[in-house]
Amino acid sequence: MTPWINRQRSLADYTLAALGRRKGKTFALVAVYALVVFVVASAMLFATALTREADLVLAEAPELTVQHVKMGRHEMIDGAEITKIAGLRGVSSVEGRLWGYFYDATSGANYTFQVPSDPALVPGPGEAIVGEGVQRARRATWEGAPLFLSRFTGDMVKFEVARTLGAESALVSSDLVLLNEADFRAFFDLPDGVWTDLAVSIRNPREIDTVIDKASRLMPDARFVTRDEIRRTYQKLFSWREGLMIALASAAVLAFAIFAADKASGLSADEAREIGILKAIGWDTRDVISMKLWEGALVSLGAFLIGTLGAYVHVFGFGAGLIAPVLKGWSVIYPDFRLAPLVDGMQIATLFLLTVLPYTAATLVPIWRAASADPDQVMR
Amino acid sequence: MIELQEVTKLYNEGRPNEVAALGGVSLTIARDAVTVLTGPSGSGKTTLLSLVGLMARPTTGRVFLDGEMISGLPERFLTAERRTRFGFVFQRFNLIRGLTVMENVMLPAAPLGEAYGAVRARAQARLASLGLADKAEIPVEYLSGGETQRVAIARALINDAAVLIADEPTANLDSALADRFLEIVAGLRGEGRTIIMTSHDPRIWGAEVVDRVVEMRDGRVVR
Amino acid sequence: MIFQAPILALLLVAGLASGVALWSAGFGWVVLRRWDIASGTGRQLGLERTTELVSTLFGLVMLAELAALLLFVYNADRMASLFVGAMCAVGTLNVNGWGFPALYLKIAVFFAAALWLMLDRADRLGRDYPLARVKYAGLVLIAPLVVADFGVELTYFLGLETDVITSCCSKLFTPVNDGLAAEMTGLAPGAALWLLAGGGAFVAVTGGLTLGTGRGHGWLALAGAAMFAVSLAAIVSVISLYVYDHPNHHCPFCLLQREHGYYGYALYLPLFAGTAFALGAGLTSAFHRVPSLAGALPAMTRRLVALALWGFALFGLATIWAIWSSQLILFG
Repeated sequence: MTPWINRQRSLADYTLAALGRRKGKTFALVAVYALVVFVVASAMLFATALTREADLVLAEAPELTVQHVKMGRHEMIDGAEITKIAGLRGVSSVEGRLWGYFYDATSGANYTFQVPSDPALVPGPGEAIVGEGVQRARRATWEGAPLFLSRFTGDMVKFEVARTLGAESALVSSDLVLLNEADFRAFFDLPDGVWTDLAVSIRNPREIDTVIDKASRLMPDARFVTRDEIRRTYQKLFSWREGLMIALASAAVLAFAIFAADKASGLSADEAREIGILKAIGWDTRDVISMKLWEGALVSLGAFLIGTLGAYVHVFGFGAGLIAPVLKGWSVIYPDFRLAPLVDGMQIATLFLLTVLPYTAATLVPIWRAASADPDQVMR
Repeated sequence: MIELQEVTKLYNEGRPNEVAALGGVSLTIARDAVTVLTGPSGSGKTTLLSLVGLMARPTTGRVFLDGEMISGLPERFLTAERRTRFGFVFQRFNLIRGLTVMENVMLPAAPLGEAYGAVRARAQARLASLGLADKAEIPVEYLSGGETQRVAIARALINDAAVLIADEPTANLDSALADRFLEIVAGLRGEGRTIIMTSHDPRIWGAEVVDRVVEMRDGRVVR
Repeated sequence: MIFQAPILALLLVAGLASGVALWSAGFGWVVLRRWDIASGTGRQLGLERTTELVSTLFGLVMLAELAALLLFVYNADRMASLFVGAMCAVGTLNVNGWGFPALYLKIAVFFAAALWLMLDRADRLGRDYPLARVKYAGLVLIAPLVVADFGVELTYFLGLETDVITSCCSKLFTPVNDGLAAEMTGLAPGAALWLLAGGGAFVAVTGGLTLGTGRGHGWLALAGAAMFAVSLAAIVSVISLYVYDHPNHHCPFCLLQREHGYYGYALYLPLFAGTAFALGAGLTSAFHRVPSLAGALPAMTRRLVALALWGFALFGLATIWAIWSSQLILFG
């Protein structure tokens, strides 16, 4: 075993010295390589973090949402339905929810209006709690600047901003405006006793299907959406966008692989001469290949570390400013928040296979070609 | 110890620029002696040297090393034999620029997997015996011609080769340095090493230390 | 198809591997027809040098394939939340008919490649490329397997539809069904443990005999293969129960999840490695009488036997630890 280690050490030593002698070339290669890793890693880390954010949000969502559908469109649901569903076995509670969208012409943004179910979040009369995206969209200069909303020309409703929801409270709260029930009904001119939809809690997840089955017989014109379906939709959306990003980035990977192969095959006269000398003084083809693989490994490791760390800082430190517009955004208002750092082995393995493997594959044949130089070449 | 039987060597085989560098050479090289291959340029002496030194395989014919036929061995076994038994000093020395004297000398030992310290100590001793002890950490491009050659000799002997092979060793040296080289050769012969070189320099094949001169012409041995 | 980074990585590996395999097989074909070690011509020298490239490329690609095998299972596990009814890798693999074939092919490629690399190593010991023809005939045989792996994997991923309702481990690994999985599940825990102990003893005895006498590698290979099958059955039938602390959860994939401390890796990695080495020892021992290998090859085979025994020993330890540290009491 020891000779093996000594041999590897000597080869690595030689490689390090060789890289040091070609500083400019090495830096250029590592820089381009790291950039490619950075792009792919950013997309992956960001999409995974978004998926997890959505999971966190959904953790508080009800197991089942019931909507009234008329002519295939979403309608307000009658409060009388609440008692029907609450009577089903397995349902632990049913709650009517009020939420809707509002286009604010002055800031040009869509807000989500909602009556919170958590009593601690219900604002007083004439007050509103807003997401931080709302504050940004209307360029609120100070924390308590009142919210003026105009529903039609000449109309103006004022809400005092009781609180701004913190940036940590995730993706979907960014464009929220929370009102109490009376204010909400007044603002949208809704009659009493109707709700946007119903939130149904079911204690045992195995019973969700049974509950839906029974409820759909009671309410043939209702639509039932489970939390798992929403989660799947989010996850699909994000993975799809991530995949799309990476497919686009793969063009970069491909270009880089070609660049690397070209560099590796177009060895400079100096490098070719060096390999010739090594073969002449007793290095075997395999020794030269091992040495060159060390070179590839060191370059890859450096670029991989730089690129991945860069992406980590980019995504979790700066909210992925460079790629966020592509990957997220179902609303006009992009949330401004820090994602919780999350990296796992599978991401690293995937990233490694997507970047280092193409590089290695692209350089291997040129390396072998250089390494199979005739040993007596330097004598001719 | 090294025996060639009816050896031929073609370069660029099967292509329009095919060259027959050797046409049927048989030669036996004695142990513990100094042999010089001589002849005009293009006579095939460097090709013969590369076959003797296991650098290349003959196109036809056989090569025996200590009685074992090695001309059919895979390249990596030839290399394995070559690097532990033969040391090479090339005409243009072929040191690697940018590396220090010590690093250059240690290079042939790198694939063998010996402990770094042991190799380094051996290199240090060899450099000292060649009068280069104080140059060990200098990059090789700052050396004079004679020093460069001695570094090349030190490198050739780092794996304790029994056979030293030198291609036109004095072609780039003035006569004082050529004499110094012959002294080194005499010393190595005294250590019990076999030395084989090519040269068309009369100072070499006329020298006292040389045991045998092989003369070549047009890819054949004439004397 | 689901467009996801790990899937793209897996397809990249499989595509690259089949490219390399096809090219190597083409080269292998040339070797089978043109190889002439006695010749000193440029063409023979070129062939010999290309063997270095083939060995390096193949070694590298197979390393990637090994990583891909792990990633494939891990990713299937991760994607389970995308499919209705899927709780772990089983559900994901069941989404269409190509999932399990893809997994089996990947495992087959792993073993084939491992054997080939051991053969390559043996060949390098001899001074006259003693196994060149065997090796390259092997490559010609392995290539279709690698390409099939790529094809099936691609079909599987292209056919992944998230609205399919799939069935998961609780449905597949249950004794009331038909099929191999159900047979394995239906195996009584006590019988499974006895079988496992028997397999272990078979391996230990044949391994010990081989090390002692330098003969009987074929028996060890047979014992290794039997042990592999018995172990998989035992994992499904009884070991998983101990890891999950649950008398009815038989899934061999949930073992790999974080909730269970990634315990599956401690079981599968040594088991696969041990089996591969045992088969490899059986393979290389067939060439002990080749003149140029008679000196060095038996020592290498011996190391393979030792590695195989280590692998199975670690697997055994992992099994005993799972039983010993479990809250579950099956035999009372």
